[in-house]
Parts: sequence; C-alpha cells; structure tokens
Amino acid sequence: MSTGKPPADNLIIETRGLTKRYGGVTAIDNVDLAIPRGEVFGIIGPNGAGKSTLVGLIGGALPPSSGSVFYEGADITLLLAAERARRGIGRTYQIPRPFLDMTVAENLQVPLYSVNPLISRRHAEEMVEANLLRTGLAGAAKQTARNLTLLRRKRLELARALMLKPRVLLLDEVGAGLVESEVSELIELIHSISGDETSIVIVEHVIRIVRECCRRVAVIHVGAKFAEGRTDDVLADKEVATIYLGTAHGEGKAEVRHGTVQTESSVAKAASSEVLLRLEGITAGYGQARVLNGIDLEVRAGEAVAILGTNGAGKTTLANAISGTVALTGGAIRFMGNDVTTLPSHMRMKCGIAHCMEGRRIFSTLSVEENLLIAARGVDAAERRRRLDRMYGLFPALHERRDNPGTALSGGQQQMLAIGRSLMSDPKLIVFDEISLGLAPIVMDLLYKTLTELRSAGLTMLIIEQDVERAIDIADRACVLEHGRIALSGAASLIRSDTRLRQLYLG
Amino acid sequence: MLGALVIAGVFAVGALFPHLLSDYAMQIGFRTMLYIVLGEAWNLLAGYCGLVSLGSASFVGIGAYVLVGLLNTTPMPIGLAVVVGGGGGAVLAALVSPAVFRMRGLYFTVGTLALGEAMRLMMVNAPWFGGATGLFLHVDWPSSYALYLYGLVLLLVTEFVLSVAAHSRLSILMRAVRDDEDAAAQVGVRTFRVKLFTFMVASFLMSAAGALQAYKLSAIEPYGMFGLQWSVDVLAMVIIGGMGLRYGPIFGAILVIALGELLADYPELHIAITGIILIVLVRFAPKGLVGLAGQARAWFAGRSSGAGLA
Repeated sequence: MSTGKPPADNLIIETRGLTKRYGGVTAIDNVDLAIPRGEVFGIIGPNGAGKSTLVGLIGGALPPSSGSVFYEGADITLLLAAERARRGIGRTYQIPRPFLDMTVAENLQVPLYSVNPLISRRHAEEMVEANLLRTGLAGAAKQTARNLTLLRRKRLELARALMLKPRVLLLDEVGAGLVESEVSELIELIHSISGDETSIVIVEHVIRIVRECCRRVAVIHVGAKFAEGRTDDVLADKEVATIYLGTAHGEGKAEVRHGTVQTESSVAKAASSEVLLRLEGITAGYGQARVLNGIDLEVRAGEAVAILGTNGAGKTTLANAISGTVALTGGAIRFMGNDVTTLPSHMRMKCGIAHCMEGRRIFSTLSVEENLLIAARGVDAAERRRRLDRMYGLFPALHERRDNPGTALSGGQQQMLAIGRSLMSDPKLIVFDEISLGLAPIVMDLLYKTLTELRSAGLTMLIIEQDVERAIDIADRACVLEHGRIALSGAASLIRSDTRLRQLYLG
Repeated sequence: MLGALVIAGVFAVGALFPHLLSDYAMQIGFRTMLYIVLGEAWNLLAGYCGLVSLGSASFVGIGAYVLVGLLNTTPMPIGLAVVVGGGGGAVLAALVSPAVFRMRGLYFTVGTLALGEAMRLMMVNAPWFGGATGLFLHVDWPSSYALYLYGLVLLLVTEFVLSVAAHSRLSILMRAVRDDEDAAAQVGVRTFRVKLFTFMVASFLMSAAGALQAYKLSAIEPYGMFGLQWSVDVLAMVIIGGMGLRYGPIFGAILVIALGELLADYPELHIAITGIILIVLVRFAPKGLVGLAGQARAWFAGRSSGAGLA
C-alpha cells in the first residue's frame, strides 16, 4: 500500500496513513502511530473520536479504506482478524463479548484449540489454569460466562486474549463501567501483564488508568491524531483539555461562537416557577452493570439544565430513564406532579416529555416530512400543519429537502431533523442527548442558536453534552455525573469556573 | 454418549428380532430414524454452530435426486449410492457457502430458505430431471426390513459423528462461533472453515437421509423432495426436543412422529397440536423438553441438598 521507509524493528505496531471511511464519514483520518515494543501505550480522545475504530483496524475486525498496518515489521493490512490473532495480536471489547453460553474454561480453550488443536490435554489444562489464576478467575472455571459480573467478564476476556500468548494486547475501554476499587484491581492486572514479552495498547476514557499505566499517549480527535507525547505532558496540555471540554475553547473557533449564545441566566425566573420534573433516587442499569446509582434532580418549568460527565458516567442512561426507554430498578420519576415511573415511553411522550436520542435515530425509509409527522400522530390536521410550518421555520434546510429520505441528509441536517421531530409532539420538557456529536463547529453553532430561541420561548430542556462549554453557555444549571451519581451541581456560571470540573474529566 | 448408545440399541433390537415388529412398526421405525438423523444434523448446524437453516429441503432433495440418478444409470449398490448422495449434499453445501456465509443470523436463515426454493424451481424448470413430474426409480422396491437396516446404519453413523462432534475440541470452536463470530475470529478461530466443515457434515447427513427416503418412495418429484415441509418439520422437532442439547433432536423426533401416528386420522388436529406445543415451548421452555427435564433435575437436586443442610 503506502511506500516509504522500511518499518523499524523496535516497533510492535505501526500504522501509516491509516484511514477508514463509512460512506461519506471519515472515522479515522490518516493516522500514523508508532508503538515501541514492550510499552504500554495509551490512546485517548473524546466520545466519537474514532478510538474503537482504530482498535478494529489494528485488530483486523475492520478493513481500512487506505493506509497500512505493520506488526513487528511485517505488513498485515490484508490479513483477516483470525490470522492476526494467530500471529499474536489480542484484543478485548469495549463491552465484553465472552462466549456467553460456554463455561469460563471453555472460553479459554477456544483460542488454544484453534491455534493448536493437538495440544496435550494436560498441557492445555495447565495453561487454562495458569491464565485463570493470573486474571483472578481461579475457581470460576466451571461457571457459565453469562453468570459472571461485568468485571469478571472483563477479566475473562483478558484471560481469553492471553491464551494466544499475545505480543501485543489491544484493550478497548477496559475501565468503562467499573467502580473505583475495580479500576484499581484492573490497573494492577495490567501492570502484571505488561513487560518485554507483551506490549499493550490501552484505549481509554478512565484517565486514571492511562495516567497510572501508560508512559506515552496519543490523543485522537475527530478521527485524526491530535497530539502525542509523554502522558503527563499530554494530560496537562491546554489544547487537549479543550477537545475534552469543548470546541468553544479552541482558538479560532471562539469567534464563530460569539454573539450566538450567551443569554442572561434566568435562574431567578425559573426558581419561582413550578417543578416540572422530579427524579427521586433513581437507579437503572443493563444486566449486571449498574449505570445510575441514585440520582435526585428537580427541573423547574422554563429551566435549561446541562447534564455533563465523561463517557460511561451514565448521561445517556439518565436520558433513557426519563423518557422511559430504560426501566428503572429503583426510585421514582414525577412529571408535573404525577408519578410516571411505570408509564411506557409513548405515554410519557403524551404527557409532554420528548427525547431527542443520541445518534439521531432517523427513520431511513421515511421522507423528511414523514419523519416529522410521525411524532404528531393523533393531532388534528390544522394543528399538525401549524407545527410542521414551525419546524420548517426553525430549520429552513429541512423544508428544501422535505421529500428526501431522512438519511439522505448531511449529519447536521439529520440532527436538525431529529430535533424537529422531537419538537413535533409539542413537548413541555425535551431531553437533548449529544446533539453536537460528530458535527462541525459551525453546524453546532447553528443548532445551539436554535436551542437558545426555543429556550427563550419557554421550553424546558435537559441538555446532555460532551461539549461542556456549549452546554454551560446555554444552561441555567449544570450537573456533572460520575459513576452514575451527581458529583457536582450548581448554577452554570459557577460550575464553569469550578476546578473540580476539569478534574472530573481529566483526573 | 451413553444415551445415544441406548437409543441406537433400541432400534438395533428391532433389526435383530424382525419378527417382533409388524410391517407397520417397521415403517414407523424407519421414519423415526430418518427424522432423528435430520434433526441431529440440523442441531449440529443450528444448535452447535449457530447456523439456523431453513434450507434442509435443498439437501434432502439433492440426496434424493443423486440416488435416483445413480441407480437408474449405473449398477451401483444402494449403500454406496446413499453415500454418494450424501456427498452430493456436502458438495452443494461447499458450493453455496461463499454466498450464504456472507449473511448472518436471520439473514442466513432467510438465505437458506431461498436456497431451498431456488433448488425446487430449478428442478421443476430444468429439462434434465423430469421436471414437475419427477423421476421414477427403476430398481425393485425395498422390503420394510431392508429399509429399516439402512436407516439403522445411517442412524449409527450419525450418532457416532454427533458424539464425536459434541465432545471434541472442534465443538468448542463451533460453539464459540455460535456465541460470537467476531470475537471468535479475534481469538484466532478461522470461522469460515469451522462453519464450512459443520455445514458440509450436516448437509452430508441430511442428503443421505434424503437418498434413503427416495429409495423408499421409488418415485420422486420436486415439490415433495424439495418441499418446505422438510425444513419446517426438522426445525419443529429440534425446538420441541431442545436445540443445542445432545439428546434434543432424538426426543423431539420420537415425540413428533408418535404424535403424528396417534392423530393420523385427524391431520388438521395434528398440525394444530404441534403448533401449540411449539408456541408453549418457545415461550416457557426455550431449551425444549430435554432442557426442561434438565432444569427439573437440577431443581430436585438443589432441593434435596438443601434439605440435607437443614
């Protein structure tokens, strides 16, 4: 593929001009990485930066659009995942994927028997036992993987990858969803595995793991390598803080922003009005992973509340719990004084809760107009027309393309459509989940300008956002989540200058 | 392993003491063995390797047509023709695998369904295979006893293959592919090879069963041999018995055949009852009757040990 200097011997993994496109979207853009043998190398970056794609490209799960991957000096770009694994590249998944209906021991036998089907039974048993011991799973050999907790599933995945005697391990977000003490155990485990024999690439949001394990890190931002260097230097870098905390901090982008947002805070006005939404100690999760650990929150009519926090803190789960797409395991939700805890989500929408979901969720077989109308079913025709006109007034671009399929739009237009669709039910409260994800700053400005208008018109909103600066700009109040709890909350202007905010993001 | 021996032994008794069995019993025995073979093969595919196929009919049909073609044109002995018929199925599996393995999960299921229909339409429309009227077999009708013996041999071979497959290292690779194909590849499993091998073995067994069925019928036509009924029956049997469990297909086949015979005079009722059993099982016992029995045993064991503690 790419020509140039021969790959250096001392590198375990090298990528040159690695690029991955999905349709028109470039997920990974011309990334050059050189990871020395025997090193624990960190890859960090905000949500949606393309980190997991990068792991997929190195591990072989995804074919690159262009560029090449070298492993121990050999070009492996064209090798399938299985062949790369056999050569010594092991990986774990962001959400663990053990073989659920097999026992722990059988999970470990899979790589062993696939690479070496004739290995003696005694030797095989010894290897399985040694790796179970090493990863803290001794005694669990006969359990079915399905019955393991999240942390033990992660350990199992690691043990399974270790059966290949990998020379490089790709760990994709091993820290996600773990509590502090579990993170400590994991760091110890990583230390015990790394060495001259095994290099490790850690892709991670939990900054503590990166700080304590990696000597060097690279920062990936919108698909490209943004920075690389010694861990402490990179984490202390202002620019890196900017991409974690928001585009608004970035140089050059600041001017575009000015004059678009920044309305006067209306805390005083909001405080006097009625409580629209009240969360009382809600807990929720998926399977064994508990994501929300007791959240109390009040939102008054007319307020805009920003929900912040790193990836995996529980922001989207909170949004889903409010709109009813995730069932609560405890606590209660009151809306306009009524208990809506057990109402299904379409009934909550009738009560006036709208949810603009993460990832847009546009109906691809429906046109733009049909996408909008579907949220206003059961409304009389004149009213429906009025709402539709209002949406086209807010987003003229949608009017131009009203007959196009919903997904034949640019990312920004799709996000407009998603916002418009959630407004079509004429909600009293709307939850925006990551509306700026993957969008160019100028498009974000446009969206946030619209949000400001909606806010002035009296709409109550919860804004979940990776882009901290933007969310704080528009909000009256902000709450920062950590491990499914509210770690920090208060008036938006105070949160902005709070040093703990940066700490929660960058450790 | 022991259970498979017991089942095969029961059928073997019939072969050793033919005078104990009426002609009717002999025929039911043959049909039961045939369905067990089909169920076992399908279970290997779906239960162990995760390849939920609705294309069983294609392989039953290809085996039937190969056997009739061979016996009509060559002096080949019947046993060998059944083996070659099975081989025809394995070859068909290998030929279509690059296409059907591109699809996963439900798409694979639908793809194999389309394969069966495509095969049937080809047999109807192609000029060489007798078209819609089908082919007649120009050899003598087999006796019920001879058929029973052929069925028994095929059953023994199937049980042997399945017992080896279910306890070998290969079965671990198959189940890994079933649980998560991508993750399996990521730990070094060459998933295409594992799937292809499983698909070919299962198809061989299905086609051999189809060949025996053709030998029994002496006349074959596309609507019967490539009929969707084969695919659906096999699936129903395995789900009733217990998918992915070693003895699921055996009990499923025996139950479905017994039900069919008991209700032979009320065919509509038979189909309805099978349907109801299927719905109830899928809802309340997704691991089938064998799975249910296992749960009950575990429950009793748990209770007695609990009592011991108290």
